[in-house]
Amino acid sequence: MVKARSAPDIWLLISILLILGIGLMMVYSASAVKAFHEFGDKFYFLKRQAIFAGLGLFMMMLLSRVNYTIWKKWAPTLLIVCFGLLLVVLIPGIGVVRGGARSWLGIGSFGIQPSEFMKLAMIIFLAKWLSIEQQKITQFTKGLLPPLGLVFLAFGLIMLQPDLGTGAVMVGASMILIFTAGARMAHLGGLALLGVAGFVGLIIAAPYRLKRITYFLDPWADPLGGGYQIIQSLFAIGPGGLVGLGLGASRQKFSYLPEPQTDFIFSILAEELGFIGGTTLILLFLIVVWRGVRTAIAAPDTFGSLMAIGITSIIGVQVLINIGVVIGMMPVTGITLPLVSYGGSSLTLLLTALGILLNISRYSR
Amino acid sequence: MKVSNVTVRRRLFIILLIAIAAFIGLIVRLSYVQLVKGTELSERAEDSWRRNIPYVAKRGEIWDRNGVRLAYNISTPTVWAIPVQVKDKDTTAKTLAPLLSMTENEILEKISKKQMIIQLGPGGRKMTTEQAAEIRALNLPGIVVAEDNKRYYPYDELAAHVLGFTGIDNQGLTGLELTHNDKLTGTGGMVSFLSDAAGRQMPNSSDTYIEPQEGLTLQLTIDQQVQTVMERELDQAMTSLNADAIIAIAMDPNTGEVLGMASRPTFSPSRYQEVDAQVYNRNLPIWMTYEPGSTFKIITLAAALEENKVDLKNERFYDSGAVEIGGARLRCWKKGGHGSQTFLQVVENSCNPGFVELGNRLGKTTLFEYIRNFGFGAKTGIDIGGEENGILFKLSQVGPVELATTAFGQGVSVTPIQQITAVSAAINGGKLYKPYVAKAWINRESGEVVQRNEPTVVREVISEETSKQVREALESVVALGTGRNAFIDGYRVGGKTGTAQKVVNGRYSTSEHIVSFIGFAPADDPQIVVYVAVDNPEGIQFGGVVAAPIVRNILEDSLQILEVPKREKQIDRLYRYGETPVVTVPNLVGKTVVEIYEDLNMNFNLTSAGTGNTVIKQAPAAGERVERGSTIRIYLGDESDLPEGAGHQH
Repeated sequence: MVKARSAPDIWLLISILLILGIGLMMVYSASAVKAFHEFGDKFYFLKRQAIFAGLGLFMMMLLSRVNYTIWKKWAPTLLIVCFGLLLVVLIPGIGVVRGGARSWLGIGSFGIQPSEFMKLAMIIFLAKWLSIEQQKITQFTKGLLPPLGLVFLAFGLIMLQPDLGTGAVMVGASMILIFTAGARMAHLGGLALLGVAGFVGLIIAAPYRLKRITYFLDPWADPLGGGYQIIQSLFAIGPGGLVGLGLGASRQKFSYLPEPQTDFIFSILAEELGFIGGTTLILLFLIVVWRGVRTAIAAPDTFGSLMAIGITSIIGVQVLINIGVVIGMMPVTGITLPLVSYGGSSLTLLLTALGILLNISRYSR
Repeated sequence: MKVSNVTVRRRLFIILLIAIAAFIGLIVRLSYVQLVKGTELSERAEDSWRRNIPYVAKRGEIWDRNGVRLAYNISTPTVWAIPVQVKDKDTTAKTLAPLLSMTENEILEKISKKQMIIQLGPGGRKMTTEQAAEIRALNLPGIVVAEDNKRYYPYDELAAHVLGFTGIDNQGLTGLELTHNDKLTGTGGMVSFLSDAAGRQMPNSSDTYIEPQEGLTLQLTIDQQVQTVMERELDQAMTSLNADAIIAIAMDPNTGEVLGMASRPTFSPSRYQEVDAQVYNRNLPIWMTYEPGSTFKIITLAAALEENKVDLKNERFYDSGAVEIGGARLRCWKKGGHGSQTFLQVVENSCNPGFVELGNRLGKTTLFEYIRNFGFGAKTGIDIGGEENGILFKLSQVGPVELATTAFGQGVSVTPIQQITAVSAAINGGKLYKPYVAKAWINRESGEVVQRNEPTVVREVISEETSKQVREALESVVALGTGRNAFIDGYRVGGKTGTAQKVVNGRYSTSEHIVSFIGFAPADDPQIVVYVAVDNPEGIQFGGVVAAPIVRNILEDSLQILEVPKREKQIDRLYRYGETPVVTVPNLVGKTVVEIYEDLNMNFNLTSAGTGNTVIKQAPAAGERVERGSTIRIYLGDESDLPEGAGHQH
């Protein structure tokens, strides 16, 4: 099956490294004030982020050398472990609540989010399943329903935390994967309708989501409540202008934006580096997506193609949602910007997944 | 259907296209937010970071016509708290509590509020500068002492109704303080700084101080000295007459400038809460409406002279004591009438039938045209709030009786300001001016006069020649007629009495009167007009001792204040009995109350008993010799109660 082994995709690698570099720089710039006030050390967040970045880079380089077909074998195990973790995290006393969601399993001062791991495990498993059962995909019950059932079971567990952002990214990446595998448009169209219905159901179950949806349309309707984060984000981005206020010169990071180093890091970047900086980062992500899709197209087998597009989708969807939120295009969802936002386990995991993508790119036809 | 690798590749390509479109969408939106909306968002963001500590602007002062300060500000700093900057809330509350005379809990509650900045009221508002210095010296983090001030009226009750007063936020509540609130207020200043969300000053940003702009100073037409004389006279009159109300206005007839305006009951602007709201809300000189009585005859006189309907010196009139009009008998206030007299004597005697005759000669259309032209029935437009219209008969409703009563001042309802304005026009050469009190607006810092209000002629009502005749006639009223107690030796005073029955519950009251006098001087070139009306003096007094002496006293002092030179040619006063040290008691039995007010200006005090409009008994009896200034006791009753043969002699 696998013949030629070439170097990993150089565009992809360079883009990843550039984004990672920008990310570390911005984590420092955005968090220094907060770090100093809270920990007396303005490098606090940078140091931790650097450790995880180093760990992640090590994993990326390692996995870029490990033949991706190995994951076919590990797929079921990974999935079962992740389902187990998703159940464990829901148990009060074990799962730790942060930001209103019981998403974390704490290990010392470090923590991991099982839902983050589930994203990757689900992609690997679906790639395996669909590459084996690809010809059944046009059939609704035998081909489409089993993977869908699996995805929504995981989504359901994630929503029990609740963590809509991560769940949405996982569902989004999974659907792209299923679409790529060749599911019928009629089926997908029907599912889309079902999705809308489900969405409405979720809103009814937790009305705060509806408010989140409407606030982004007119954040000034409630500037101190639901519209607060969007307004503060726009107050950062808008004054950035074409070239920005200069690295480190953000004013909104002075406690106006809650967590400026995580979900709203792009706002600080746009404020300090302006439209040029923001566009540069978006284009770098676009290069990652382009090279990811190209890797999928050029992959030697269906499993490789689906793995490549799945990993690319995780990054692409998450970028679209995160930046879309902070520039006021969609409701606040609570999701980090891949490779840039502060967040240890998530960063390591993403770099690990990109290691797999880089490995697949080495087998391009 | 078989899924081929072609399908997979086609779909991957579609995904790439969608991804490119979506990422371009992000860039487009980013460019909109940063490049199109950037400036607007920057401004809004700056506003959201800016924290302002307000500095209250000083209110413009109010000066009299000579620059005497009638209202100004004294510094009364106010304490503010910026809750996020207060470090130790408990200690801060404990420290401030005794200084602000507030409880610890009250302060703790305020400095714990999720508010950018909050006043520590009531104790921390409008403090003395000593208290403020004490709090400043504590240097408590998050506690700021900001400049603030309080209105102060150095002459307390002086012109209280005209000036009005301000509330706790220095906002005008009544009087000129309210009418001209916008110009007096000025623009607030502030210290502003950029702050982070926790209220700390943002690094690398600096404070800006915007200086508060003091409001414009208002210079009045009022003369503080004239006003002081008026206030003094009203205080004395209230003590001696114990009236329901007294009104006084002084005006420069040649401009419409109000030189003074006072009324009782009054109040102290700093303690206005101690009186009924009606007292400070009603500025009686422009608000009260009532029948003017005889002072209104000046209007009828002026109209008749202007229309050449009468020759005052050469034409005679016989007053039999009553006149038959439209089946109604209108009586002169003097029982038995004034007999045969010239029309000048008709004016001197204030003879009702004589004025009915003048009214008839004018006809209702002409008379009412003059009344309206003299400004009655409509607001004068004086620049103080709360003016009333007064009421006139509608021309269609005027029959012979209404024409006749209007001619001598009954059946019309006017305000004091209308009367003095109209009389000013009658004696100043015929020009009706719009009365005003705001003379100029001054920028106190630069001394520059921002706006100067000039006299406004509303219309010319009568000719200079007619006006001269009116002045002369009114001078002889004071020298020879019913206005004798307003005579000032050396000044040519003109004037006219007025007595009107009050309308109580829709009917004329027999016991309550409004006694008034309007006087001016010098008669050859009037410099000041003074109008005084006394509402319901206690008991019954001779009319001449009620309003006319008040006007005389005000005129006498004011003429000196205004430095008006004395005149030489003067109609000498006619001296009568009752003005020598030992005097004969006059016969009052049979006289009506109106007669006592209008005609019998003698130096006796009266005490009255009983009710009714006619004197039925008196003690001591007529003809007895007593000392000047003695008290005569009179008993009132109806005319039918008169003993046989009493009264009717004149």
